[in-house]
Amino acid sequence: MLGLIQYPARLLRATKRQTAALALPDRRDLETIGLHLLLVGSVLLIVFPILVAAIVSTKQTGIVTGLADLVPGGHVVENYRTVLVDYQFGRFMWNSFLMATVIVTGKLALSIFAATAIVYYDLPYKDLLFLFILFTLLLPVPVRFIPLFQLVADMGWTNSMLAITVPYLASATTVFILRQHFLSIPSSIVETAKLDGVGPLKFMAFVLLPMSKGILVGVSVIMFVFAWNQYLWPLVIINAEADQVAQVGLALLEGDVVGGEVSWSLVMAGSMLTLLPPLLLLILFRKPLLRAFVIQQK
Amino acid sequence: MTTVTLSDLRKEFDDVTAVESIDLEVRDSEFLVIVGPSGCGKSTTLRLIAGLERATDGEVRMDGRDVVDDEPKERNVAMVFQNYALYPHMTGRRNMTFGMKSAGDFTDGEIDDLVAEAAEMLDIADLLDRKPGAMSGGERQRVALGRAIVRDPDVFLMDEPLSNLDAKLRIQMRAELSKLHTELETTTIYVTHDQTEAMTLGDRVAVMNDGRVQQVDPPQRLYDYPANRFVAEFIGDPAMNMLPATVDGADGGAPVLDHRAFTLPLPDDASSALDDRSSAVLGVRPEDLYLVEASDGAYPGSIDATVDVIEPLGDSLLLECTVGEDVIRANANPRADVDHGDALELRYDPERLHVFDADTGRALYHSATTDEAPVMHAGD
Repeated sequence: MLGLIQYPARLLRATKRQTAALALPDRRDLETIGLHLLLVGSVLLIVFPILVAAIVSTKQTGIVTGLADLVPGGHVVENYRTVLVDYQFGRFMWNSFLMATVIVTGKLALSIFAATAIVYYDLPYKDLLFLFILFTLLLPVPVRFIPLFQLVADMGWTNSMLAITVPYLASATTVFILRQHFLSIPSSIVETAKLDGVGPLKFMAFVLLPMSKGILVGVSVIMFVFAWNQYLWPLVIINAEADQVAQVGLALLEGDVVGGEVSWSLVMAGSMLTLLPPLLLLILFRKPLLRAFVIQQK
Repeated sequence: MTTVTLSDLRKEFDDVTAVESIDLEVRDSEFLVIVGPSGCGKSTTLRLIAGLERATDGEVRMDGRDVVDDEPKERNVAMVFQNYALYPHMTGRRNMTFGMKSAGDFTDGEIDDLVAEAAEMLDIADLLDRKPGAMSGGERQRVALGRAIVRDPDVFLMDEPLSNLDAKLRIQMRAELSKLHTELETTTIYVTHDQTEAMTLGDRVAVMNDGRVQQVDPPQRLYDYPANRFVAEFIGDPAMNMLPATVDGADGGAPVLDHRAFTLPLPDDASSALDDRSSAVLGVRPEDLYLVEASDGAYPGSIDATVDVIEPLGDSLLLECTVGEDVIRANANPRADVDHGDALELRYDPERLHVFDADTGRALYHSATTDEAPVMHAGD
């Protein structure tokens, strides 16, 4: 270190602080600004189609050929009324809501029992059983379409709520997420309950489920959005228009050509309506939802 | 009040034997501490008593009744865990009362009375309406203790309950546990890896190693008459010095231990204990070694040592010295004038020598005189 002038570290830090105060924003500030610009940019990119849809849903014709067309029109009430009343969209949405609610409730109940059994009971070949459940991930509903269609038709469920809900009740993903969460609960808590002679159902109702509230809400939101977005299976198995769900209803709107043209403003009004329930859930339950995803990553 | 008897208790996990033929009797109202290094099988033993593990073989008796096939609930024991195991979504009060309806026939009035009583005993009345998340570690452990107390169990089982607390709080809780036991007089089995905790809390202490009980005795007896090398080195801090030596003149007259760096005459009565062995291990605790002062004059049978490390502990000076090729630790007067590299003479307390078998580690001889002969529970 000979020949170097050694400044005390404290002095150096003080000098740096002074220059920082006088000079332009330092690197860290620039990085933050850049990051935020990037975020705003990507959010706009993602939201842009939805914004366009929202604008179009207020216009009469709904054809967009240039930026000048992206001005809200005055047909809001008329368009949404036509879609909801004339095209029975209210009915479709109610069907969708029923379907999603039944799927979520059923899935949750089945998965809770399955995960509890896998984690807390000494079953022979437990790991193999769990592996088998995970294996069903390889066979989602679209892969099973033809045999499933045959089965549902044979059971006489066509055009019924059973047809669009029962095939979705078993969920390997939910069992997996709940299993991981149950495993993260300290075994001493389970053992304390055992020593007290707390029965399995009481344990589930008063200990396990309250301790899993967050994850259950998170998983339910994911499942609801998934169920709400079902399109292909209801399209195939439901023939009666009155029993149809919103996603298929949208396609029906599109197919309704007036004077040689698709009435895009009505289609977009329908899209905006379909978007609302999942959006509302996501906004309301964003915190438990994020937590559920974090667990899944683990 | 309850006695707990373990006979020939074994537990195997796949191909690992965690607990190997344990015989242990826990007396009525006794505070028995099981102590040992991690992996010695002490927690498994406790869990076998609780019924949380199924024994591979052997018996667990409570007041003579064999409970080895009973469910945990039927054994009427309460356990306190290291991580408290409180239900995080319940208040302190609910945590204490939640299991009571399942565990016994308590009426609501009784439950309220028991909770109030336990809360007063543990000074946790103000914690009853708080959830565990809003309590400190010590407060949580108090509530966990309260939960065990309100159950009015036959036996308390405690699995390292103080290990998650900081040092100061641990000492405070240790005293409180002691007081609590005097008050309740419930048979308690307490597992810890901390020998200080074991010595201060236990009416008797069971030292375990490799899945076996090495010795069960009151704390002072354990310290004075260790049954083997393991117990001798595990109990006491810093650990007992162990010096290999040859035995001279064992047959007939008084034996002499011959270390390469010193010779140490043993009393006459040692000869029968040492038989005609040629080698043995001398055990002497650091606190039974003293610096030879100039005023002592010539001291027979002293040990020449060179100081390597000096650790001032405040109340004493811990010296790590070389004696021949061995290392020996000695406690010196805290203000002794000792420097690194000094050559000094150590004298020992002739009443506090221990001799162990060189191969098996079994204790052969303790020089302390006592009214009653030491009871050996060697696990070898």
